[in-house]
Amino acid sequence: MTDLEAFGKLELELRRGVVVLATLSQLRAPRYGYELRQALAEQGMPIEEGTLYPLLRRLETQGLLNSEWKIEDGPPRRYYALNADGRKLLKKLTESWRGMNDAMTRLLGED
Amino acid sequence: MDANEVVECYVTDVAVQLPRRLRNDVAFELRALIGEGLQDRAEAAGRPVDAPMAMEFLQAFGRPEDVAARYRPTLTLIDPADGHAFVRATVIGLLVIWGAGLLLLLQQPVEAGIGSLSAWGQWWTRTVVASLWWPGMLLAGFAGSSWLRMRFPQSAAWKPRPGDRIYGSRAATVLGIIGILCGVYVLIEPRWVIDVLFGGRAAPAAYHVLTYAETFQQRRAPVLYSLLLLNVPLLVAVIVKGRWTPTLRRLEFVLGLATCAAMVWCVLAGPIFIAPITDQFMKFGMLVLTALTVLQYGITMRRRVKPAPKLEGGIG
Repeated sequence: MTDLEAFGKLELELRRGVVVLATLSQLRAPRYGYELRQALAEQGMPIEEGTLYPLLRRLETQGLLNSEWKIEDGPPRRYYALNADGRKLLKKLTESWRGMNDAMTRLLGED
Repeated sequence: MDANEVVECYVTDVAVQLPRRLRNDVAFELRALIGEGLQDRAEAAGRPVDAPMAMEFLQAFGRPEDVAARYRPTLTLIDPADGHAFVRATVIGLLVIWGAGLLLLLQQPVEAGIGSLSAWGQWWTRTVVASLWWPGMLLAGFAGSSWLRMRFPQSAAWKPRPGDRIYGSRAATVLGIIGILCGVYVLIEPRWVIDVLFGGRAAPAAYHVLTYAETFQQRRAPVLYSLLLLNVPLLVAVIVKGRWTPTLRRLEFVLGLATCAAMVWCVLAGPIFIAPITDQFMKFGMLVLTALTVLQYGITMRRRVKPAPKLEGGIG
């Protein structure tokens, strides 16, 4: 395995770990899939469409998101937003992420 | 095929793999999302959406099978932790089955009119193809074990092995000693069993088939019986110590190997019983026992762990 391949795989694993948190963080207000993808990409977290759209459905099935079809300035779109359970989970995951981030900052700062 | 047809084909290929209750809703949403993505790409490229652009976009989106799979929770049949064990058990099992089938094939006389090609064909259909029950059974077993671990995680929690404790108890080891003594007694005079069973009124042929060959009784039998009886002081030492110490384990290993060598010698050096049927049966039993013992030692040696650093170029 070349260094580039190893980097690609390891970076993918890092990104997989944060995809759910990043997605939940942008659904405090209702958004449809494409809009959400653009919002994430604009803030430096591009997620492939083939990963993001199924993820929204899975999170909804897990009872973390609510969704509904709406027609606003264009074709019908399915809007997703956090429900009460989703907000609780987002809060917990955010705390956990901040703890890990602080630890990693300390660890990487030792170099 | 225009861009719309390409998108429609892709959406259908994804949706058809989803549960029926999700299918149409997901297809509608997916088509709309792909349409918006394509429209943005076309605006960035400064040209209208066409089939090659749609193809490129959808290939980046992912294979329909992969995308459809992401809509559902991951289904793991074999726990990744069991992957290597599954492959190892599958390969070893298949090699044993195929090898046994090959041995049986080679033992059969070549019938007139059946060439070697036909014999290989028989081996392929009767042994190789039929052996697929083995990976199937393993798959069911590993999947069941994986499900049990997920369902009852506490039952799968790691526990230390008993190590060199006596299996069972001291009483069980005493029973083992009695078993060895009885076994050796029967081996010394197997006709005693017939006397016990039939009260001394069995047919002479029954005594005949259980009569040892003179050469075996004079030379090989004393060695074999002595080695078997050496297990008695070994087990007594285990009872006294209360566990298998490393020295006792080494003695057991040496004694086991010596017994295996004696059994092979008994098989190769001539008849054991004067009647061919019991002779063959006894020899087959001895060879199976030897093979199983050697296999067990091989597995034990292979599984042995002696923690030590792997030093490149030695120390210093």
